[in-house]
Order: sequence, then C-alpha cells, then structure tokens
Amino acid sequence: MAALLPAADKVTFSENIAPIVYDNCVTCHRPGEAAPFPLISYEDVKKRSALIVTVTKSRYMPPWHATHGYGEFADERRLTDQQIATIADWVQQGMPQGDSAKMPKLPQFAEGWHLGKPDLILEMPVGFELPASGPDVFRNFVIPLNLKEDKWVRAVEFRPSARKAAHHALFAYAPAGSMARIDGVDGKPGFGGMGTVGIAPGQGNSGGLGGWAVGGTAEFMPAELAMPLPKGSDFLLQMHFHLTGKPETEKSVVGIYFADKAPERNMTAVGLPSLFGFGAGIDIPPGEKNYTIQDSLTLPVDVKVYGAAAHAHYLAKEIKATATLPDGSIKLLIWIQDWDFNWQEQYTYKQTFVLPKGTRIDAMLRYDNSADNPRNPSNPPKRALFGEESFDEMGGVGLNLITVNKEDEPALQKVLADGAQAAIRRGGADGTAKRYLEHQAARRPAAIAPRSIITLVDRQGKAVRTVGEQGSYSQPALSPDGTRVAVIRNDQGKTHVWVLDLSDGKGTQITSDPAPHTSPVWSPDGKQIAYISNQNEVYRKASDGSGQEELVYKHPAGPAPFITDWSVDGQLCFWSGDAVYALPLEGDRKPVVLFSGAGARGGRFSPDGRYLAFSSNQSGTFATYVMPLKNPAGKPLQVSKDPALGGIFWRGDGKELFFMGLAGLAPNGVLAVDLTLGPELQAGIPRQLFRPTGVNSPAQLSNIASRDGERFVLLAAPPASPR
Amino acid sequence: MRFGYIFVFAGLACAAGKTNVLFFISSDCPISNSYAPEIQHLCGDYGKKGVSCSLVYEDVGIDESSVQKHLKEYGYTGIPIIIDGRRKIATRSRATVTPEAVVIDTKGDIRYRGRIDNFYAALGKPRQQITAHDLRDALDAVLAGKPVPNPETKALGCYIVPPDILGK
Ligand code: HEC
Repeated sequence: MAALLPAADKVTFSENIAPIVYDNCVTCHRPGEAAPFPLISYEDVKKRSALIVTVTKSRYMPPWHATHGYGEFADERRLTDQQIATIADWVQQGMPQGDSAKMPKLPQFAEGWHLGKPDLILEMPVGFELPASGPDVFRNFVIPLNLKEDKWVRAVEFRPSARKAAHHALFAYAPAGSMARIDGVDGKPGFGGMGTVGIAPGQGNSGGLGGWAVGGTAEFMPAELAMPLPKGSDFLLQMHFHLTGKPETEKSVVGIYFADKAPERNMTAVGLPSLFGFGAGIDIPPGEKNYTIQDSLTLPVDVKVYGAAAHAHYLAKEIKATATLPDGSIKLLIWIQDWDFNWQEQYTYKQTFVLPKGTRIDAMLRYDNSADNPRNPSNPPKRALFGEESFDEMGGVGLNLITVNKEDEPALQKVLADGAQAAIRRGGADGTAKRYLEHQAARRPAAIAPRSIITLVDRQGKAVRTVGEQGSYSQPALSPDGTRVAVIRNDQGKTHVWVLDLSDGKGTQITSDPAPHTSPVWSPDGKQIAYISNQNEVYRKASDGSGQEELVYKHPAGPAPFITDWSVDGQLCFWSGDAVYALPLEGDRKPVVLFSGAGARGGRFSPDGRYLAFSSNQSGTFATYVMPLKNPAGKPLQVSKDPALGGIFWRGDGKELFFMGLAGLAPNGVLAVDLTLGPELQAGIPRQLFRPTGVNSPAQLSNIASRDGERFVLLAAPPASPR
Repeated sequence: MRFGYIFVFAGLACAAGKTNVLFFISSDCPISNSYAPEIQHLCGDYGKKGVSCSLVYEDVGIDESSVQKHLKEYGYTGIPIIIDGRRKIATRSRATVTPEAVVIDTKGDIRYRGRIDNFYAALGKPRQQITAHDLRDALDAVLAGKPVPNPETKALGCYIVPPDILGK
C-alpha cells in the first residue's frame, strides 16, 4: 500500500494530521472539555495513534450517529474516507512530525459563555453527588425561575460541572411546585427516572426547551422563532451521566437568552409515532431481534422543517424517517442505524426545507431484545412494554417545523391532536393506559415510602418509644397534647389518614374514599384533623374518626397544596407552588397570601399568632425565616445559618424554634434556635439537636414535636426481620 | 509459559508463593479509570483469599507524584503500584491495552490475560448488564487448582504505547 503512494504524498503531522484533528476533534479533546484527553500537540496524537486509527476507522470518533446522506445536518461530525485513510497512512509511515512552521492555527474557543452574557443565569441550588461507578444515572433537577412575566427563549446555554460524567441534558418547564411531591424524596436533589420531562400528562402548562449533548454548542434559534416560557414555571433539567470511576458532583449552570417579544411563529414538534408510541402497542418478546413499530402522517398543509431528533430507550437499534412528496419523490429525513441512548442529539438541518401539503411522513423504529444486544438492560432478556423505566421501551422521531402560512397552524394542530387522540384510544384499549397510570401512581412519594415504624425520640435523638406496627408511613404529626400521632399510611397504593394512640398503639383510619390523601394537621384542641384529598381539596374531620368529613376549600388546579399548620385563631396555613397562604376556617374561607415567590413553603404560625416561620430560597439556598404578620412591612429575618428546609415547629412558649437542616436536599439535622419576640425580633445561633430519620419532604411536615419541645416524632427503619 | 523472572527484571515485589494479579492501567484512559472501583473491590475480595494485586501504570512519562494524585482521585488504597516506564512488564506479560489483567500463579505461570469483565461490548458501547466476570472466574479457578475456563480474552480500552514509538 505504502509503496503505491507517490512520494509527494508523504503524510506529516504538521501538514496533514493536525488540520484533521483541529477541525474534528479538539472541540471535545481539549482541557476542560468532555473528552478524556487533549489531542492538540504532536505528542498527544502520536502516543495515541494506534487507538486513533481504530476509533476513526470504526467511526466511533468523532461521535455522530446519523447516517451520512440521510438529511444534511449542520455541524455534522464526520471524517471523510480520505481523512481516515490519511491518518492510517501517517501511522504506517512512522508518524513523521514534518515542518512545524506549517502547523495550522489552533482553533480559538470562546471562554465563558459562548453566546455572550445570558439574560438569566440559573444554577442548581445544591450539588448532586455522583458515585464512582455503577449503571448510568438519570436525574431530573428542578430550578425555580421566579419569572415576573411570560418570556420567550431564543437559546439555552448549558454548563455542566461534572464535565466528564455529564452526557446529555434535556430542558423543559413545568408549573412551579408541580414536582414538589417527587423532588428530593429519596434524599437527594431532584428525582430519578428517564421519563420525557415536560411532556408527562397532567402537568398542566409545560413544554420542552431543547437540549444539550457532549460536544454541543448553544445556538440561537432562527430569528422568527422562540420557545415560550410562561411565568409561574420551574425550569426542569433532565441529565444523563456516565460514571467515571471517581465520585463527582454536578452543579450545573444554565444561561437563558430571551427574545424581546413573542415570536411571530410557533415551532411545532411533530412526533411520530404519536406520544412516543403510547398507542403503538409496544410488546417486544424476549429474544426478538427485529421488532418494529411504524407510523405515518400526511401533512394537511405546507410546512418548513428546521430539525429532527430521535428518542428511544436501550433496546432500539434503528430509527428512520422519510418523507414521500405528492410527486412521488422521496426525501430522507434521518436514519440512525445503531441507536445509542448515550448520544441523544438535536439535529439541525443545514438548510431548512419545505414539505408540501400531501407529503406522507413515515417513521420506523426497530428494537433488538436479544442477548446479543449489549445494551439490553435485562439479562436474560425480558418482555418489554411501553413505559418510562429503563427496561421499558418507547420512542419516536420528532421533526421541528412551522407551517409555511401562519393561518395553516390550526389545520396542522388538528391533525396532530387527532393522531394523539387515536394513540390514546389504542393505548386505552390495549391496556397501556392502565399500566402507565398505575406506574405513575406508584411513583408518588407516599406510595414509595419504605416500611418504617413511628418513633418518638428525645432532644438527643434517642428513641423513647415506638408507636403501633410497622407500615409504609409518611408525614407523621404529634397531637398538641402529645398523646396521639396522625400520619399518612399507604396500603397497596392507597393513602389514608390514620390516627394512632400512643398508649396502646391502636390505629383509627380517618379517611375512607379511594382518593389520595396527604398533609394531616391537628386542630389546636386536638379534636379535628385537616388534610388534603383528591389533589387540591382541603377537608376536616373529627380526630376520632366519627361523623362526616367537611370540604373546607378547593384550591385551583396546579401545584399540589400541603397544609402545615392550624392556628389557635382558626386559620389553616398551607403552601402550594411558591406561596404560603392562610385559610380562615370561618367566614368567607378565602385564602390570603402570606408570602409568595422565592420558593416559599412550609409555614408555621407562632403560638401567639403574631409571626410566621417559613422556608424560602430568597438568599439562593433554602433557609428558615421568621416574619411579623401584623406588620408585614418588616423584612423576614433569616434564622438559620446553613441550608435548611421545613420541619418548622415553635415551642409552646414561642421562645424556641425547631427546623431541619439540609445536606443536598436531604434533611441532615433537627436544629433549634432561641428567639426573642420582643419589640425587636431577635434570633440566637442555631444548634443541632440530632439527625432525623425517615424524613423525605420536610416542607410537608406539621407537628414534628410536642408542645414542650421535649419529644419529636420520626419514622425509623423497622428492626431487621429475621430471614 | 514460565514467568518467574519478570519480577527480578522489573523490581516488582511479588509475594512468593502467592497468586498475583497485575492490573495494567493508565491515568487518562476513560475505560481504565471507570474500572478503578471494580479493581479496588477485586483486590479487597481476593486479597482475603491470599491473592496479591499490583497496579502497573502504562502512561507515557508519568511521574510518581502524578501517580499518587491519580490513586487518590480514584480511591485506590493499599495496592502496590509500579510505573512501567520502559514497558518491560507489559512486554513480558504481553499486555497491550489498559485496563488489562494478568494472573500469575504461585509457580510464576501466566494463567489468565485479558479483560476484567465484559462491561464494554466495544469501545463506546457499555453494557447495561455485565454477563461475564472473566477475571473473577480465572482467579477462582486458579485458587481451586483448576484449569482456567477462558485463559485469554480480548481487553478493550486504550492501547499501551509500544516502546519503539516512545522515542528518546
Ligand atoms: C463531540 C465530542 C468529541 C469529538 C468531536 C471527538 N471526541 Fe473522542 N471522545 C469523546 C468522548 C466523550 C470520549 C470518551 C468516551 C467515553 O468515555 O465513553 C472520547 C474518547 C476518545 C478516545 C478514547 C476511546 C475510548 O473510548 O476510550 C479516542 C482515541 C478519541 N476519542 C479520539 C478522537 C478523535 C481522533 C477525534 C477526532 C477525529 C475525536 N475523538 C473527536 C468526545 C469527542
């Protein structure tokens, strides 16, 4: 081979190899970027030459998963056959360096923000700790936005901190507080799962905001477009990590660039099959190598296409979409032949193009559920159905497009809505809907609360006694006289309010209807319990279970409310989203906002009713605040020093306040601080009493202690059962 | 395949009368690094059974202080290390990739060479489930005095740079 090369074709690093590497590798292979080592100097490249030949020949590097020629994409990462051969020849010729004067210039990369200073910079409030090894980690993080008005987003620039571990990220928004019930329930920031963020049903006003993958650079959308970001939303970040062998911490920073005004046109994502295959009857037998699903859609109007994206889990092998135009000609849209969940990218076409009315779009996904698929999450392979877990499957192709004429938008929306309706009907008929909803219900924190035993501890955290039998409990609250505990008990996915007697451990079930229940709160005289049922309805009922329940108030649909206090003068304190409310139990029963914004939650009235203690992240991290209620002009006083959230309780004399400290989003201590409520509100230095157990969502707790502050109620791990 | 003399050669303090595992690693190879916790585990598990582990660094031109930093970063503790600057150990062991494991029995015979397990199906293609624990199987066989079922497997990772292109 080498003998056939003319002498002039002598390959050198300076003249032939460096240009290839600089153009195709250094975006990632430079210090501080995702790739494991730099490929910049002659030495860098020379010492890895054999590996570079291997990875370029196999086209593993540079990473690119769309088939060349199927859709012409901007930023396609691809070496030509000629370039691959040149690298191999160079190695074969002994890797001469050549004349270093002929080296190309190293490309310049912008320091800091690629798109300039963002209009809004978000940072994860607390870092997420990644272990050194194990399976890939999927995690969703919720970052409060506190927007005062509706906005439109032109670009999102993303900066992960665990550079080598972060593989890809998807951005979305959802109503503020709507994730509160699952955020941090396992004691770490965010929540798990690889569900498609922002599209799950029942999340109200939510939507996607694009994504990022290793090597990706942020770009502005075409000038006429922008993505909506309504006020009252939280920012959601779904990240996928590859563990690197050492522990790392992820604390991403996100830069958001806004448009000045609402865009003229709305980008539509046309997904095929509809709803990621919800109605495609996905049921892949174990061992099946060629299971396919397909769907098609005929465009009712002319559209202009900007980009494409693909999504599926681990079993997918091949994802393909084509368009058949009315004249019979075929346009190749995208073809991924070796689908890799690790590289979910957003593909932007080099040039937008029009697909005329009457064009049929066909999408096909092929799955391999055999043991030969190394990515198969099950060993031996198992039947795979539609679902959000890693061993379930779903998938589809998404095309980002607009209608050519603005007035055609409704016609396109109608076709898409019909497609979704049809998918929902099919999914309802074949049992997918039922399985899916049951799975969603099982993910609620009450349902996943591990078995525990209600335990009273002293101020040192030492167990004094246990109450009743072990069970799946959450939100325990001690009665004001310290003789009973109200708690949510979960049996086979049904959550009910129970009251347990300390004297004999006997329990009374207070609620009976099958709706989910949360937030049991004691009336000051201990005779009644208030709680939430059916997501947003506030009820009260006698604490001995007698009589009927009374509907007190119905909160507007949106983020779930949680009741955290019942004052002596007959007001409930509840929070929802980022606002804390007082709800008078007599009179018009209209709630009054006590504090809103900045992550406000978990409010508790002082025993004399003059102050409110609550949690908020107005300083950047969650902390405990006390503010006067009668003279609200007074600024809230921060009484915690380190991060703290919920678990707030005033001692009966109002001179001591308890709350929970945070490490990550996990409560790591019950703290106490002395207060002087004189003319001038003053707080001492908080001291840690003990480490709590079994607390998942501290901002949802009410009476964590007895009135004298001597006994605390916790959920302890049950004693190990004998095997 | 007699092996006894490499120890003298490389100055490796190989415990006489023990089964030895050499782990060929490099500090900037992602696959090699991702195995750090598993190597540490293996050495813990088999250390109890009398197996002696060593880490053999195959980075080009790495110095002692960078090695110490790397050990700390990836949580390696209590495993003897050796910097194989001139590739003598790699050459003698015929190890070509990091990470790669070589098992030498009490008589100095190489009994296993290859991957630690099959987590990687190919470069860039990690499995969701490991289905073959080749090194553990090999060690179990050697300790039990049985033949190793698969004495040679293909290790995946970064190539060890051969001495002839180290230059200088
Ligand atoms: C989009 C970013 C990106 C580009 C561009 C890129 N790489 Fe990589 N490269 C990576 C990442 C990330 C890894 C680590 C893979 C892992 O950990 O799974 C990697 C790993 C490697 C490896 C080690 C193989 C392994 O898995 O251990 C080699 C060799 C390599 N790249 C060579 C190249 C060459 C040569 C080019 C240019 C032709 C290139 N890369 C372009 C991101 C990139």
